[in-house]
Amino acid sequence: MRGFLALVAKQVHESRWMLGMSAAALFGLGWLFVFVTSLNELEILKMLASEEGDSRMRWMRSLGVAESPSSVSIMMAFWNHPFILLLLSMWAIGRGSAAVAAEVERGTMDLVLSRPVSRTAYLATHVGVALFGLVMLGGALMLGAAVGVHYNVLQQPPGIVSLFQPAVNLMALGLPIYGYTLLASACDHVRWRPNSIGSALTLGGFIAYVVSMIPVLENKSWRPYLEKVSIFKAYNPVELVTTGESLSRNVGILSGVGLGCIVVAFVIFARRDLPTNS
Amino acid sequence: MDRSPVIVTDGLTKHYGRVAALDGLSVQVRQGEVFGLLGPNGSGKTTAIRLLLGMLRPTAGWGKVGGHDIWSESLEVRRGVSYLPGEIRMYQSMTGIQMLRLLCDLRDGVGLDRAVGIAERVMGLDLRRKIRTFSTGMKQKLALSQAFADPVDMLILDEPTSALDPSARGLVLDLVRDARSFGQTVIFSGHVLSEVEQVADRVAIMRKGRLMHLEEMSERRRLRMLLLRFQDDARVAIPRELELTARDSTNGALLFEHRGALQPLLAWLASAPVADVAIGTEDLQSLYDRFHGANAQFEENGA
Repeated sequence: MRGFLALVAKQVHESRWMLGMSAAALFGLGWLFVFVTSLNELEILKMLASEEGDSRMRWMRSLGVAESPSSVSIMMAFWNHPFILLLLSMWAIGRGSAAVAAEVERGTMDLVLSRPVSRTAYLATHVGVALFGLVMLGGALMLGAAVGVHYNVLQQPPGIVSLFQPAVNLMALGLPIYGYTLLASACDHVRWRPNSIGSALTLGGFIAYVVSMIPVLENKSWRPYLEKVSIFKAYNPVELVTTGESLSRNVGILSGVGLGCIVVAFVIFARRDLPTNS
Repeated sequence: MDRSPVIVTDGLTKHYGRVAALDGLSVQVRQGEVFGLLGPNGSGKTTAIRLLLGMLRPTAGWGKVGGHDIWSESLEVRRGVSYLPGEIRMYQSMTGIQMLRLLCDLRDGVGLDRAVGIAERVMGLDLRRKIRTFSTGMKQKLALSQAFADPVDMLILDEPTSALDPSARGLVLDLVRDARSFGQTVIFSGHVLSEVEQVADRVAIMRKGRLMHLEEMSERRRLRMLLLRFQDDARVAIPRELELTARDSTNGALLFEHRGALQPLLAWLASAPVADVAIGTEDLQSLYDRFHGANAQFEENGA
């Protein structure tokens, strides 16, 4: 147990700056989006009510923002902002590739696994810290929004409970990103490859999701397939605060993909050779 | 002294595709002995060590360390073994003391005081400094301090003196001798033959993944090399009881190995038609060169 805790402390120590700065940035973004909502709420409501409006309004409608949206659903439209997804993806991909491939590459895996530490325990510490980080990031965004609501004027200020579901959905979105990067890392001995695979899959999924939402492609036969291959389809904070029905489905899909990849990564790592770094 | 084997391998093999990194290693290492593992780069030493520690999965064959299977019971194996890698890589952002504490914590927190004592007093390291400020030799000293402090039955040292200055090399050899006196088994893999010669009880010479030769160092120290030239190049029958083994013959000079008693040999030399004689010893380098020198002569089938 002491060894396990020592490894957890090491992982936290190694990732503290990345986690701290990402969490601080998400806290700030959560607050900022409340501030932006409070400044523009009336204008946005007016533009959404009319048939006209610029591309931003069309984008917000495509995300599910209704004609008479609540303050929180306008806020949640901002939770699809690429900055939020980027910070979450950076954490998930960074920790996933660090778990095995980076340690093999820099030669420190020998140091740890020549001690009486099982491979399962070793990987479990990495997974535990990564999941803790996802919770921290989702929590920081939620907390930033909650504090922002307290200091800004909204038409219908949401309670922290209504922010909880989108935050959980965001945390769950990090799971498959971490999962497939970890899986690539568990098979590899250099860090750049799992980093590239994780980034390519995440970016590809995001592009597929964005393309599937382009109105002129709405009637294309391949559009539903494109939508289904993207994990971002299962992240919909606007829908969660409007209908509140899709949380279990979204979290189920994202957790299923993520945990499935993590389990396979455990199996592969337990059975693979650990080469020297030279 | 009859000592039980603590490391046993039988046909241990590791292939990478068609390349055999280790080919059918069958060896026994006895409790409390220092076992020298010799061979050039790529001869299979490190592969053998990594197989013993469960870092690589055998392609064929099996091995046991302390009675535990090296792959399926690797965790139990590593409980009883301390390992010094050939290339020391550490967490650069840690200080020396943080590094030792982490390594001790990974062994349930035992051995820290001893590790700190060896690092500071024997190796002369300042443990408050960050690892990134350490030279390669200092990192090796830190890792050695940890290895010798671990309360284990076996030490596996992969090129333990490669980055050390001569005085530190002497310290390491002393620590190896101490470990043996405490009853620890030591596998000493290295390139510096004189060091292995000083501390090893047995040596194994490897080449291209195969064990070529295994020898007791006590036998080697008793070995005499005899160079004889008989009068008029006469053909003389050598009595079997002298335990002379012909090694080489060049221009009428015969080279023999002698492992038997000295008196019968001297008596026979006094009576035989000997024109010239030279008696000497053979160091480990000469043995090594038989397998890896410019005029290497060996049997591909191994020892």
